[in-house]
Amino acid sequence: MFIRFPGVPVVRLCLALLLVLSTAAATRAQNAAACTLSLSGRVADHESRADMPGATVVVLETQQATQTDNAGNFHFHLCAGLYHVRVSYLGYESETAELRVERAVVRDFQLHPDAVVLRGATVRGARVTAPVTQPTATLSGQALQQTRGEALGEALQKISGVTAIQTGPSIFKPMIHGLHSNRLTILNNGVRQEGQQWGQEHGPEIDPFIASRLTVVKGAASVRYGSDAIGGVVLVEPRPLRDSAGIGAELNLVGMSNNGLGAASGTLEGNLRRLPAFSWRVQGTAKRAGTMRAPGYYLKNSGFAEYDFSAAAGWRKDTYGVDAFYSQFRTQLGILPAAEVGNPSDLVLAIGRSRPLQTGSFSYDIRRAYQQVRHDLGRLTGFVRTGNAGRLTATISQQVDYRDEYDKNRPRNNNLAARNLPELSYTNRTSTAELLWEHQRWHNFTGSVGVAGTYQANRYATGSRQFIPFYTNTIGGAFWIERWQKDKWLLEAGARLDRRDLQVRRGDRDASGAFFVDRTRFQYTTPAASLGATYDPTTHLTLNLASGLTRRAPAANERFSDGVHNAQYELGYDLVPGNGALVPETALNVGLTATWHDNPRLNGELTLYQTRITDFIYQVPILPPVITIRGALISSQFQQTNATFRGIDAAGTYQLAPRWLLGAKGSIVRARDTRADEWQIFMPADRAEASVRYDFADQPGGRFSQRYVQLGGYAVARQTRVPADYAARDYKAPPAGYALLGLQAGTTVRWGRLPLEVSVAGSNLLNQRYRDYLNRYRYFTDEMGRNVTLRVRVPLELSRKP
Amino acid sequence: MHTPFKTSFLRTAMLTLLAAAPLFSACKKDNEDPTPDEDNEQITTVTYTLTPVGGGTPVVVSYRDLDGDGGTAPTIGTLSLAANTTYVGALRLLDETKNPVVVTSDEVKEESDEHLLFFEPTPANLMTVTRTDKDKNNLELGLETRLVTTAAATGTLKITLRHQPGAKNGTFAPGTTDVEVVFPTTVR
Repeated sequence: MFIRFPGVPVVRLCLALLLVLSTAAATRAQNAAACTLSLSGRVADHESRADMPGATVVVLETQQATQTDNAGNFHFHLCAGLYHVRVSYLGYESETAELRVERAVVRDFQLHPDAVVLRGATVRGARVTAPVTQPTATLSGQALQQTRGEALGEALQKISGVTAIQTGPSIFKPMIHGLHSNRLTILNNGVRQEGQQWGQEHGPEIDPFIASRLTVVKGAASVRYGSDAIGGVVLVEPRPLRDSAGIGAELNLVGMSNNGLGAASGTLEGNLRRLPAFSWRVQGTAKRAGTMRAPGYYLKNSGFAEYDFSAAAGWRKDTYGVDAFYSQFRTQLGILPAAEVGNPSDLVLAIGRSRPLQTGSFSYDIRRAYQQVRHDLGRLTGFVRTGNAGRLTATISQQVDYRDEYDKNRPRNNNLAARNLPELSYTNRTSTAELLWEHQRWHNFTGSVGVAGTYQANRYATGSRQFIPFYTNTIGGAFWIERWQKDKWLLEAGARLDRRDLQVRRGDRDASGAFFVDRTRFQYTTPAASLGATYDPTTHLTLNLASGLTRRAPAANERFSDGVHNAQYELGYDLVPGNGALVPETALNVGLTATWHDNPRLNGELTLYQTRITDFIYQVPILPPVITIRGALISSQFQQTNATFRGIDAAGTYQLAPRWLLGAKGSIVRARDTRADEWQIFMPADRAEASVRYDFADQPGGRFSQRYVQLGGYAVARQTRVPADYAARDYKAPPAGYALLGLQAGTTVRWGRLPLEVSVAGSNLLNQRYRDYLNRYRYFTDEMGRNVTLRVRVPLELSRKP
Repeated sequence: MHTPFKTSFLRTAMLTLLAAAPLFSACKKDNEDPTPDEDNEQITTVTYTLTPVGGGTPVVVSYRDLDGDGGTAPTIGTLSLAANTTYVGALRLLDETKNPVVVTSDEVKEESDEHLLFFEPTPANLMTVTRTDKDKNNLELGLETRLVTTAAATGTLKITLRHQPGAKNGTFAPGTTDVEVVFPTTVR
C-alpha cells in the first residue's frame, strides 16, 4: 500500500494525497499517446459496499495513476493490450487484477478492510461519507458481526451513550442520552419506522440482519428527520445493491448456549451481466430461542421466535435509478408470568420473592402471556440527476404494524376461550412520501431542500380491549439544509416546518355504563432549526459543535392511553381529571464532540451534551393507585415538566504494542426535573467498559488468518440519582451496580476457497446474579447468566470471475 | 440529456405515481367510530347476598363500576349485619356492560377448579366466614359461604377472587387476582 512503509508511522493523509496527485499529474503528461480505449470502474468497500472516493488506481505497465472521484469512479484511456491494475486505499488490502483491454472495459473493485487498521479507519470512513456536525457512531464490519443474533436495541448498546429499556431477554427499546420512544427516529433502509411506540415493552420491529451498518446520530436531527428526532436517529442501512456482474451470497449462523438461541440468516444477491443496470437481493432470517437461564433457575415462558424476509431490486444508471424494497418482520415473544401482575398485593408478593414462584425447565414453547408482532414495509425510491444542478430523489413507502397481545389467562367464557383471541389487537398503517433535491456544489455551498408527508391510521380490532384510541395523524413538512465547506471549516444550518393534524375517536363509558365516542382534533405547526460547525485544527483532530431547537407535538398515546396493558393501568395526560390538553414540548440541544483520529496510538472521541426540554412529557407511576374491581392497580400516567439532560460519552482505543490494543468506553447521563428540582426517574446509570485485544500475526499460506482474542469488562453503577422519597415513586429501589466479564476469540478459516469467519464469545463468564435498573423484569428476576455464543459467517461468490 | 433517457425517466415517473396513488387515498374505514368491546371480558359488579339462617330480610351489599377501570370511581356499599347471627352467603359477579348482562359467577362455577375466593374481615374477630361449596377436586371454592357474627363492632370485609388455572392448591399464592373489593362493615 502506498503510504504504509514498514517501520514508518502512517503518513499524514493530506501529504499522501498531494503525493499521489502530483504523480498522477506527472504520469498523465507522459502518456499522451493516441490510445483511446476506455478502462473504467468503481471502487467500493467490500463490507459496506460504500463508494470509496480517493482510492489510488495504478496501471502498472504504463505507470498511469489516478484517484477515484466522489462516487468512487475511475477512468483511463489505454491502448489495446494486457495490463495489471492495482487499487489501493489506506486501511484496505491492495488488490491487483489482470485485464485484457480490446474494447472499452468496465471493471469494479471491492476492497477488503485491512484488519489491523480497520478500527482506526472506522471514524475516517464515516467522515468521508457523511460530514454531519452531530456526533455519530457506527457499527459495521467486525463490530457489527459481533452482535449478530442480538435484537436491534441490544446491538446498539455497543455504542457509548446508547442504552435500552429492556423487558427480559427479547425486548430492547433503544434509549439515546436518556431519551426514548416517541423521541427517537429509526430509519429502516431510508424509511422512518412507524411501529407502535405506546408500550415500554415494544421493541423496534426490525431484523438487524438486514443491516450492514448501524449508525446512531446522537442528539437532535429533527430538521432532516422530523420533529420526533429530538433524542437522536438510528439508521439501519443495508449495503447498496451489487453493481458488479455475478451472484453472491452470505450466510450467517448464530447459536447461544444460555437460551438455546439459534439464528440463521441468508442473503442472495446478483447483478446481470447482460443488464448491468439491474441488481437484486433477497434475504431471510429465522430465529428461535428457548427459556432463558438466570444463575440458578429458568425464566418461565421467556422464549421467542422471529421470522423475517426482505427483497430488493434496483435499476441504476448514471443519471437516474429506481429501487424497490419490501420487508416483513414477524415475531412471537413470551412474557414472564411473574411480570403479569397488576394487583399491588400480588406485586409485593412477587417482588418479595428472590426468584419467581414458577420457574420450570427449559422449553422452546411460548405460552400465554405473549405478544405477536408483524411489521410490513414497502418502499419505492427513484432518483434523477437534474442536469448539472443536482439530484432529485423521491421516496414513497407504506408500512403496516400489527400487534396482538395475549393475556396470561384465557377468557372464562368457553366460547370466547375457544377462539383464543388476543386481548389487545392493534393495527397501525402509515404511508409516507418524501421529495428531496440535493443541489450541486455552488461556490462553497452544498445543500438539500425537501418536502415530506405522512398519513397514519391507528385501529383496534373488534373485541380488543380499548387502550389507544382510533386516530388518524396527517403530517406535512418542508425543510432546507445548507452546508458551507472551506478549508478546515464546515458550517451547517437548517430549518424545518411541520404541520400536524391529529384526529382522535375514543370510545368510553359514562358513569351509568353507557358507551359513547369522544371526538377530538388537534392541529399544530412545529418548527425546527439547527446550526452546527465542524473544524479540523489538524489532520488528527476534529471538533464538532451542533445545536438544535425542536418543537414536538404530543402523540396520541401520551394524550389518550386509557386502560390496562401488561396488567398495569395507564392513563394519558388529557384524561387525568383536572388536566387540560397536553402542549407540545420544546427541546434545545447543544453538543460538542472532539475526535482524535488516524493516530498511530491513541484514537478516540469525547462528546459533551445538554438537552433542555420545556414541557417534557414522561410517564411516572402514580400514587395512590387507581381503584378497580381487581383492587388497587399499579398505575402510571403521563405528566409534563421541564427537564434538563446533561452528559458525557467517551470512547477510545490505545495501541499498546504492535498487536495489543486497549479499548475503553463510558457514558454518564444526568437528568434533572427542573420544575420539581429533583432527579428524573428511570434514567440510565453510569457505565464503563474496558477491553484488551490481541491480534495474531498472519502466517503466509496459513489456514487461519485475522485471529484475535479479546478480554472485556463491563461495569454499571447503582443509579443513585433518583427522585427523593423513592419508595413512594417506585415499587423497588434501583438495584446494586454490577461488573461482568466477557471473552471472545475469532478467526477467518480458509475452507477450500471459502473464507469462513468464526467467532466464539462468552458473556457473564462468572455467572453472576445481577439486575439492571432499566430492565422491567428487575422487580422479579435476575438477568441472564453465563452465555456462550458461536457465530459463523460464510461469504459465497457464486459466479466466475470475468 | 438525450431522448431515450427522457422517455425512460418519464415512464419511471409515471409508474411511480401510479404505484403511489393508492397510498394517498385515505382508507374509508379510517372514518369509522370505535364500537363497544363486546367480546372482552370484564367484571363490573360484585354482589354479596346474606340471608339470616333463622329467617328475615336478606342483607345485600354491592360494588359497582359500570364504566370499567378508571373514569368515574366505583360505587361501594356498606355491609350492615346483626350481632350474634348466622347468615348464608351467596356471591354474584356480573359484567353489566354487556347486553344481555353476563353472569360471570356462573362461569366461575363452571371452572371452579381454577378459582378460589377469600373473605378476610378486619379486625379478624369481626366475623367468621366459611366456604361451603367445593370444586371437582374437593377443594373449596367460596361462591357459597356461611357467615357468623358475634359482638357488635365496625371494620371491613375484603373479598378476593383468585384465578389459578392449572395451579389451584387451596392456598392464596398461585395465580392472579381477578376481584379484590373491600366493604366497610358494621355489626350491631
